[in-house]
Amino acid sequence: MIGGAIAGGFVGTLLMTTILRGASEMGLTRIDFALLLGTTVSENRRKARAVGYVFHFIMGILFALAYAQFFAIVGRSGWALGALLGALQAIFNGTVLVNVLLPVVHPRIGTPETAANEIALIEPPGFLMLNYGRSSFAVMLAAHIVYGAVVGWVVRV
Amino acid sequence: MTRIIRAADGGADVRGHNERMRRDGYAPIEDYALIGDGRTAALVARDGSIDWLCLPNLDSPSVFGALVDAARGGCFELQPTVPFTASRRYVPRTNVLETMFTTAEGAVRVVDAMTIPDERLPPMRELARSIEGISGRVPMRWRCAPRFDYGRQDPTPAWRVGVPVATWGSDAVGVANWDAGTPAWADGGVEARWEVKAGARSLLALTTAYGEPLVLPGRTAVLSRLESTIAFWERWSSARGYDGPWADLVLRSALALKLMIFAPSGAAVAAPTTSLPEQIGGERNWDYRFCWIRDSNFMIDALLRLGCYDEARSLFWWFMQATALTAPRVSVLYRLDGGIGAVERELGLAGYRGSRPVRVGNSAVAQHQHDIYGALFETAWLYSSGHHALDADAGARLGAIADHVCDIWRRPDSGIWEVRNGPFHFTHSKVMCWVALDRASRLAAAGEMPSRHAARWRREADAIRAYIEQACWSDDLHAYTRVAGSRDVDASLLMLPLVEYADASDSRVRATVDAVDRMLREDDVVYRYRAADGLPGAEGCFLNCSFWLVSALARCGRVDDAAALMARLAARANDVGLYAEEIDPKSGAFLGNFPQALVHLALIDAATAFSPSAGRRERQAS
Repeated sequence: MIGGAIAGGFVGTLLMTTILRGASEMGLTRIDFALLLGTTVSENRRKARAVGYVFHFIMGILFALAYAQFFAIVGRSGWALGALLGALQAIFNGTVLVNVLLPVVHPRIGTPETAANEIALIEPPGFLMLNYGRSSFAVMLAAHIVYGAVVGWVVRV
Repeated sequence: MTRIIRAADGGADVRGHNERMRRDGYAPIEDYALIGDGRTAALVARDGSIDWLCLPNLDSPSVFGALVDAARGGCFELQPTVPFTASRRYVPRTNVLETMFTTAEGAVRVVDAMTIPDERLPPMRELARSIEGISGRVPMRWRCAPRFDYGRQDPTPAWRVGVPVATWGSDAVGVANWDAGTPAWADGGVEARWEVKAGARSLLALTTAYGEPLVLPGRTAVLSRLESTIAFWERWSSARGYDGPWADLVLRSALALKLMIFAPSGAAVAAPTTSLPEQIGGERNWDYRFCWIRDSNFMIDALLRLGCYDEARSLFWWFMQATALTAPRVSVLYRLDGGIGAVERELGLAGYRGSRPVRVGNSAVAQHQHDIYGALFETAWLYSSGHHALDADAGARLGAIADHVCDIWRRPDSGIWEVRNGPFHFTHSKVMCWVALDRASRLAAAGEMPSRHAARWRREADAIRAYIEQACWSDDLHAYTRVAGSRDVDASLLMLPLVEYADASDSRVRATVDAVDRMLREDDVVYRYRAADGLPGAEGCFLNCSFWLVSALARCGRVDDAAALMARLAARANDVGLYAEEIDPKSGAFLGNFPQALVHLALIDAATAFSPSAGRRERQAS
């Protein structure tokens, strides 16, 4: 099950990343998880993106392991249950993670309370990441549903 | 209307208020200066308005496009709110612009730059505008009104941590501001008014993003990048090795050309603008934000002469990679990413002073222009002669292209000027086909290309020469002709001594230069031809042709005539040393896209024609 979760998490993150990047090129959103995550540790844009992609994949695999644990507890898995978890995670990410938790650990991200000061700031994502485009949440929701469905399909209980 | 007073330092003062500097909302083309960062570039008008900026790249849709639609295009204004005079210059040896606004209340200096990124989390693209109070107390205003997608998309206004932000799709821009008033959104733009006292410093930073969150920079970081940007340009200028005649103009041209090189790929645009008209109100309005193969030999030549070896290497290998897609046929132009898709379409914009249509894309991509083969091989020869080896793949590809030239040179084409009533047997095209096969033979002899077909290349080159000497020479005209069998000349014939088709002392070359000088020159500038070209309307004199005449006269030994003409052309530059594609010979008004790379390349060639130490043989040893 652990091996399945790792494989599913990797492939799911791969698809999610591709969907987000494609949506960005289509003008639907400016979400860039690699830059958002990577700038927690580096101000260098290239390094930040590289580190951010690594972070993103690590988190994708860790979340897949958590999904697998959930599947084990409830005694069933499958793409539909995975997709449901993915949708819940998208809502969590768009509300709590990027707006409450990420600013706690991210030295350069703005919040509604932050004034422009001497530190370079990343534009805050806003509720459901809508600051990054009106379709941002829809895109993120779709990407996470695909991610969850892949994990749920690969992990067998 | 606009009143221009020449300043003692060679800059120009414009007296008046914003409305008086413009006609129907449009500044004269010569009133613009170029700033950039190697990825995109902006045009700043003398009255402080940024009227052209494409994001994120040179060939992306405009965010500020007032240049081609004053009402809908979008702009970023910054100026006194009271009547002022403006004088400006580039900070010496940089691409950082300095504008001095003088009013009855005092004086303010504005420094504009697109900053070079550093390690302090720079925005994707950043345009810094520093405002310093020099004397008195000057009331100022700024207004940023972005219009995405060539003015067709109004922005969604918003605020992020106190910074006004405008978004549309994957694009976003924000204006970080410090001590520059209290901004507020109004009528689709964000604006503020404030007063600048002597000794005070305000700062604006246009921060932009495409497909990523905006980075909202801190004041210290912006100022640091502004300083390091000035230092970068000073270092870059110091590394240019030219110390011959007209050194200031040559350096300014080099700096302008550097802004037209798209750093991510190494390709160079013909100009950073689209659809500035060749005739006010006319329809000869084209998109020049592509890389023309035609410019390549001039560009490589200039880059090598000026010691820009990294840029030359990057451009050459970009050419090799781009042409690999189409070889043995070579496309007239390529996109900056090396692609060949450049579908021409018309935007529903008003056009510069009513000059419609405004076009993006360029249908010349579908034309057959045989001169480009000569340009490509001259490029390879110059690059190779500069002690840069070609690799086997490039050599083999060039060999296939040389074979292709042998097959096509007998056919008519659209020629260097991309006429739309052809094809014709242009003399210049035949000459450049000769150049292609001549250089192919030389490269094969030097071991840079396979020599299997070298005998054929030499044989066909001789056949081209025979054709030119027989069919393209007119005893009546006593000159080479524009087209085989015609009775007129073309400024492209000035290239004959430049590309070493014949020695400059050759009687036919000298007679042709004299004929162009006599028939196409008006005052100190040169028309490219006087024949019909299949397009309605008129055009101005082409400045590149004017500089080619300087080069040709100098090489033909008429050095005094050449120097006199060069001096007059130097005075035709705008106050910051830039040239558009064309000029109205009577009014001196600029026409066509601005600034144009080929004009500045021709200027460099003309300046170096006076200096024996800057000759081609000597340069090769550099």
